Amino acid sequence: MKFVGIVGSNSEVSYNRKLLEFVRKHFKDTFELEILEIDEVPLFNQDKNWEDSFQLRLLNNKITRADGVIIATPEHNHTTTTALKSVLEWLSYKVHPFENKPVMIMGASYYDQGTSRAQLHLRNILDAPGVNAYVLPGNEFLLGKAKEAFDDQGNIKSKETVAFLGTCLNNFIKYVDVVKGLKKPRPIEEEDLDCNHPIKTTVTEVDPDDPEWVEKVAALKNAVSGDTYVKLDHGILTVDQINMFLRSMPFELTYADDNNQFLYYNNAHQDPDAMLAKRVPSQSGSRLSTVHNSLPPKRMKNVEWVVGTLRNGNQEYVRTLVPGSPENIINTHHYQAMYYPDGSYAGINELVFNFKPWLDWYLKETGQRLVGGKASMTPDVATSASQATPTEATLDANTGASEH
Amino acid sequence: MKLIGIVGTNSKKSTNRNLLVYMQKHFADKAEIELVEIKDLPLFNKPTDKKLPGSVLEIAQKIEAADGVIIATPEYDHAVPAALMNALAWLSYGITPLLNKPVMITGASYGQLGSSRAQAQLRQILDAPELKANVMPGSEFLLPHSLQAFDADNNLLDLGTVQKLDALFEDFCLFVKIAEKLSNAQDLLHKEAQDFDWEKL
Repeated sequence: MKFVGIVGSNSEVSYNRKLLEFVRKHFKDTFELEILEIDEVPLFNQDKNWEDSFQLRLLNNKITRADGVIIATPEHNHTTTTALKSVLEWLSYKVHPFENKPVMIMGASYYDQGTSRAQLHLRNILDAPGVNAYVLPGNEFLLGKAKEAFDDQGNIKSKETVAFLGTCLNNFIKYVDVVKGLKKPRPIEEEDLDCNHPIKTTVTEVDPDDPEWVEKVAALKNAVSGDTYVKLDHGILTVDQINMFLRSMPFELTYADDNNQFLYYNNAHQDPDAMLAKRVPSQSGSRLSTVHNSLPPKRMKNVEWVVGTLRNGNQEYVRTLVPGSPENIINTHHYQAMYYPDGSYAGINELVFNFKPWLDWYLKETGQRLVGGKASMTPDVATSASQATPTEATLDANTGASEH
Repeated sequence: MKLIGIVGTNSKKSTNRNLLVYMQKHFADKAEIELVEIKDLPLFNKPTDKKLPGSVLEIAQKIEAADGVIIATPEYDHAVPAALMNALAWLSYGITPLLNKPVMITGASYGQLGSSRAQAQLRQILDAPELKANVMPGSEFLLPHSLQAFDADNNLLDLGTVQKLDALFEDFCLFVKIAEKLSNAQDLLHKEAQDFDWEKL
C-alpha cells in the first residue's frame, strides 16, 4: 500500500514532521509512506491560479494516486494551521484530489492536548463538499508533550504509545481496503494516439512515422553517441554504456512519451520474430496509432484505456497477460507510468518479459508448488497476474490490452 | 465610537466585504467603522526571530486604537478561510491587539447557511490563549444567499435582516461600553498573554 503523509506545518521545526518520519520508518514493512511538505504553497486566493505552484501540483498528483493520506496537524489558536487550511482550500477549489480518498488524521503538540481541537476541525473541513474525503472514524492519535516524546533517533519513547499508533494504522489499512469499493475512477477522456499535442521534447521537424526517424532526428539535434559522457540523476555513463546497460535488461523495454509517441525500445539488436512484443527499428519515433495499426479497433480501445488509466492517475501501472503463448512462456506486459518532477504524467515505460523462468526459479527455491484452481483474467487487469495459475490463465485469457 | 471592520477574505469580490461596506454606511451616525483588508499579509510561518511584517503591525495598531472590531467571515470548506486564519495567526504572534477587545462576528454566504460553521470556529479561535478576544455572546448574524441580498446600491433588501442587524449593532455598542468596565483582569491577562510561550509549557 502506498500512502502519502502531509506535514501540516510550514515551519522549519515541526513535531508533526517528526511524527510522520517516525511512522514512515517504523512501519516501512507494512506500507510505503511518502512525506510531502506544504511550506512553499502560497496562501489560497481564489483570484490566483493553483497550477503556478509546483508544490501544489505535486501534492495534487501524489494525493490523487495514493491509496491513502495521513495528515499530521499541529494546533494553532485552537484550530488547524493556516498553511494546512490554505492547502486544503486550494485542493478543493478547481481540483479535488481528496474526493473519496481515505484519510487518517494525527497530530503532535507541545502541551497535553495533542491537537485535539485542531483534529476535530480538520475532520469538519475534510467532510466539506468540495473536499469529500473519507476520514477514518475514531482512532484519534494525539501525541501530547511532543518535546519529551521522542528520543535522539526520532523514535517515540513510550512502547504503549507506539503500540497504540500501530493499532490505529492497522485500522486505517483495513479501512482503506473497505472503502476501496466506493472509489470512482476518473473518467478517461479520448486519447490522442496520433501525437497531435507536441510536448517540450517533441521534435516536430521530422514526421514521427518516418522509418529513418532515429537517424534524421539524431542528425538534426546533434544527438551524442559513442563514448560521450551523459550525466544522469545519480551516475555518469557513456552512451555506449547506457546502450549496453539497457540491452542487457532481461526484459523488452519500450518508452512512449506523454504525446503518445513511441520513442525507444531496447532490443533493436534482436530478431523481431523472437520478441514477445514484436518491434522493428523503423518503428522508433512512430505514433502509437501507427505502431498499433494492425490491431482491430477493439484492441485500439484497450491501448487507449491503458494510456488513459495511467494519464489520469487511476492506476500507476497496468499489467496484462498475453493469451495464446506457448506452454513454456508466460508473456506478461507491465505498463508503468512515468512522471515529471511535479508528479504529472510523462509517458509509459512498457516492460515485457517471460514470467515463467522467474516463477519456476521461485518455486524451486522455496519448495512451493502451484495448486489447481480456476484461474480467470479479471476485468481489473491491475490485480497481479500471479493470482492465476499460469497454464490455466493462458488458456482462459482473452483480454490482453495489446498484443502489438 | 471607533470600530475596525476586518474583511475576512483575500478575494477581489466578496459579499462579506459588501456587508461591512453596508454597515459602515448604515451605521455612520452611530460609529466610525474603518475597513481593514487582510489580502496583502504574507503567509504565516512562525518566523523564529518573531519579527512581524509592517503590514501586520499596521493592522495591530489600528485594532489597538479602536474601541471594537467587527469581523465578517466567509466559510470555506466548513471553516474560516485560510486568509483570515492567517491574519489572526500574525495578530497573536508575540503581540496581543485583540486581547479583551470587543468583537462582533458576522458572515455572509452564497448558500443558505450564512457561514454558520465558520462563525462557530471563529469563536473558538478568538478564545485561544494568545488571542483572548471578548466576543459578544449570543450575537450570531448570518447572511445567507448573499448574492441576492443586496440591491445595486449595496443596501440590504430584506427588512427583517436589516432590523436584526440594527438590533445586534445596538447591542454591540452597549457591549463595547460594558467590556470597557471588565477591566479587573485585564492587566493580568495582558501579562499572561505576553508571557505565554508554548516552548515553556
